[in-house]
Amino acid sequence: MASNKKILLKVVILGDSGVGKTSLMNQYITKKFSNQYKATIGADFLTKELIVDDRAVTMQIWDTAGQERFQSLGVAFYRGADCCVLVFDVTAPNTFKSLDSWRDEFLIQASPREPENFPFVLLGNKVDLEPRGISTKRAQQWCQSKNNIPYFETSAKEALNVEQAFQCIARNALSQQNQNDDLYNEFPDQIKLSQPSKSSGSGDSCAC
Amino acid sequence: MSSYQVGLGWNKHYSKIFNGGMPTTPQQLSPVEEQEKLLDEALATVKNEAFKMKRCLDKNKLMDALKSASVMLGELRTSLLSPKSYYELYMSITDELRHMELFLIDEFQKGRKVSDLYELVQYAGNIVPRLYLLITVGLVYIKSNQMFRRDLLKDLVEMCRGVQHPLRGLFLRNYLLQCTRNVLPDVPDSDSDNPEGTVKDSIDFVLMNFAEMNKLWVRMQHQGHSRERQHREREREELRILVGTNLVRLSQLESVTLEKYQKSVLPGILEQVVSCRDAIAQEYLMECIIQVFPDEFHIQTLNPFLKSCAELESGVNVKNIVISLMERLATYSQRTDGMSMANDSGSPMGVPMDVQLFEVFSEQVASIIATRQYLPSEDMVALQVALVNLALKCYPDRVDYIDKVMLGSVEVFQRLGLERIEYNELVAKELSKLLKIPVDHYSNILTVLQLKHYAALMQHLDYYGRKSLSMYILTNALDSETVIPSQEEVEQALSLVSTLVTDQSDQPAGEVDMEELAEEQSLLARLIHQFKSESADQQYLILNSARKILGSGGQQRIKHTLPPLVFQAYQLAFKYRDLKAEDDIWEKKCQKIFQFCHSTITALVKAELAELPLRLFLQGALAIDQIAFDNHETVAYEFLSQAFSLYEDEISDSKAQLAAITLIVGTLEKISCFSEENAEPLITQCALAASKLLKKPDQCRGVATCSHLLWSGKTLASNKQEMHDGKRVVECLKKGVRIANQCMDISVQVQLFVELLNHYVYFYENGNDQVTVQMLNQLIGKIREESPNLESSEETEQITKHFNNTLDHLRARIENPETDGVSYEGIEI
Repeated sequence: MASNKKILLKVVILGDSGVGKTSLMNQYITKKFSNQYKATIGADFLTKELIVDDRAVTMQIWDTAGQERFQSLGVAFYRGADCCVLVFDVTAPNTFKSLDSWRDEFLIQASPREPENFPFVLLGNKVDLEPRGISTKRAQQWCQSKNNIPYFETSAKEALNVEQAFQCIARNALSQQNQNDDLYNEFPDQIKLSQPSKSSGSGDSCAC
Repeated sequence: MSSYQVGLGWNKHYSKIFNGGMPTTPQQLSPVEEQEKLLDEALATVKNEAFKMKRCLDKNKLMDALKSASVMLGELRTSLLSPKSYYELYMSITDELRHMELFLIDEFQKGRKVSDLYELVQYAGNIVPRLYLLITVGLVYIKSNQMFRRDLLKDLVEMCRGVQHPLRGLFLRNYLLQCTRNVLPDVPDSDSDNPEGTVKDSIDFVLMNFAEMNKLWVRMQHQGHSRERQHREREREELRILVGTNLVRLSQLESVTLEKYQKSVLPGILEQVVSCRDAIAQEYLMECIIQVFPDEFHIQTLNPFLKSCAELESGVNVKNIVISLMERLATYSQRTDGMSMANDSGSPMGVPMDVQLFEVFSEQVASIIATRQYLPSEDMVALQVALVNLALKCYPDRVDYIDKVMLGSVEVFQRLGLERIEYNELVAKELSKLLKIPVDHYSNILTVLQLKHYAALMQHLDYYGRKSLSMYILTNALDSETVIPSQEEVEQALSLVSTLVTDQSDQPAGEVDMEELAEEQSLLARLIHQFKSESADQQYLILNSARKILGSGGQQRIKHTLPPLVFQAYQLAFKYRDLKAEDDIWEKKCQKIFQFCHSTITALVKAELAELPLRLFLQGALAIDQIAFDNHETVAYEFLSQAFSLYEDEISDSKAQLAAITLIVGTLEKISCFSEENAEPLITQCALAASKLLKKPDQCRGVATCSHLLWSGKTLASNKQEMHDGKRVVECLKKGVRIANQCMDISVQVQLFVELLNHYVYFYENGNDQVTVQMLNQLIGKIREESPNLESSEETEQITKHFNNTLDHLRARIENPETDGVSYEGIEI
């Protein structure tokens, strides 16, 4: 597609209740942090315009409820995600233990085309707090075992690594979408015939 | 703003463009399959139309793109999908609509006129697609020109009234809520008219949307056949999240300060919740308020919130709502513990000083219980449980708060007229839970005893309930090794666990499980060892008190509970002996203690026990001998003679007799306080008793044991040294040999000879000159003579082995004589 076209990316943030999903998103988008705790119910998104690799993209960030009882309608919003962000609290080992089930649940519900290559990013939040329950090494090992997921240690409170993490998330989401666009060539050829001048592919001129 | 209202005039040109496909018709399939099929079909249309739409957008053909969008949105007009399937469809459609939105924003930034489009999309043929498009365009309009924001928002939320089908309406308004998230005015109110709007406009907007959505949601309950009620309620439960999102939106507004929340947001929500008179909605929305707004707000609005709780429909589980709030605030006060400034007002961290968290909840819980007549009694107790948890978390030092809850609970039961609650009722389970919390939390029975109303509350449990709780309290006291240091507390503790101490008036008649009783009583017995005062005098009072209470427990209990008291008393006597320098009348006190023991042991005798009191008397005699207070010889004699009379009068089993006489001899051998006058009859008595045992082997062994009394026994006459009456020792042993000779069973006879040989060897080696090598030879000869006649068996093998070991010992002594040892010259091995 034309490179001047606005790109829309969809990112879903998952993790146990209270790990700071909403705070991370707010810090990234509004640069604010609040100690007040408000539980998220359901799922809701905010958008952020940014430039990734010289391309303007609109990133739609879905913040979700960590407690299952708040998803009474199911998780249809996983569908079509370009990247999934998993968050845990480095001071709460339980939240780390849940990562596997969050990841599995996402892959089942979102059913991406190539589950093993779907981009995840792991964030270990609340590094400003003591005591640490999960070491950096342990988190990195988990990431390695899952096909080298990028890992960031963040603090939504102190805005530590938040920007970097979301840059990485956006980049991974973008590359995922490019791959998916290639796959979208399954549409009938008639469209191509009526518009010979423009390819509906992702910019590469190969017609296969 | 009339220009934004839905136009009445119908424009043929636009109607052709916007009349999209109709929903597909269902076929006969299973409900799940049918849903899947319907959804797949709809999604296929969406995919197709979305593709066309995006292509048109790429080619800048806006009208065509809008037409595709309208067809795609037409899928949302279906009435056939379940809420979850509809949600999936909605998600995929709104995902696609976002592309339209991006395009339009781009366009308008390039200078395209928005107002035309806002009117244009209103000509779409069907209202559902029309309103979705209107919202999309409206949003773009607001983003490109803030000046119409306030009016546009108002217009949009009004226009959505056009869809009154619950499912469609709920999703449409959810879309409105999602789209406007980023554009809601979020600045403080100002006096001047502000067309961009202020937070007040946002609050009005969301509250109106909330009220409309809630109405749609509640209306679902009253549509359709009554037999489908369950199904309908399940669907409503699924859809609740859409209604709740309104509250989320309100909580996201930064300009909603505490004051705004108190004055307009919360009252607005509560009014809608209370007035809708729908249990499902009320229960969910109250819970929702608790979850989505911050604790800082809840703390300041406890009263209005809890007052509304009391006004909810009878089907609402108010208990869960209140408990959920309490739990959140309790966690909050702990979470903020480390963060806020030090605060020595006694109010928990993070809770403002003017907010009496406990008092407010306590009061409101009482009023909820009083006003909600249909509240099940277990829920009332569950509320008390939550109150206790709150108090323990937020005010850990305030034991009085816990007591207040206990009192409150007692009052609840009194008002309900519940005297005794049966063990298996739900409310009994809740009550047990309530009563266990202080036990677990403090792990200190003394603190539990400080709760004045605890015992009274416990009385509302039936016998089984009280007993099981008593066991729980006991186990906890034992595990935490809490020492109970005063008479008063001992009395209170025993009264708390009275089901284990004495028979109860409400105790069911019938057989008692003795094993179970023994288990309970041994727990109680262990607790008695934790009755310990620093002061000896106090300790005496404790024991006396405990004795009185435990003494009434009946025969089956006292055999477990009195012995530890007796042992405690003996220990106390030793303590007085150690204090002799500080206490002038310690001897008098010791006498009293032994009197106490005497009467306590006698109580056991009266309960027709024999072997146990006999042993306690002997143990007492040993203690008396060691403590050596004034007149102790007489007391010791009394204890021993009591043991003797028990032996003579009460013990009839021959095995028990031998065991008893062995113990008596052993005790007497250790005691050195007797004068000749007392010692002689006791020794004679032992020997006599031994020789009077029924069975010959018992006689033989008894007599042989007695021989040691005459050797290593000590008396005042022997200057508390071993008496070494060699002549009488040998007399005893000879008597033993005579008795052994009378035994008919050869193997028993040989066994007794071997044992006697060992006694002889012992005395010979210890320097009794009355024992001669000749005597040893005689015995060895006898054994050798009889041995071949033994039938081979495991038993005889043991006997032979014993004999051979004895001979080995003698050989070793002959080969390596000890320096001062006796000579074995002339022995025939």
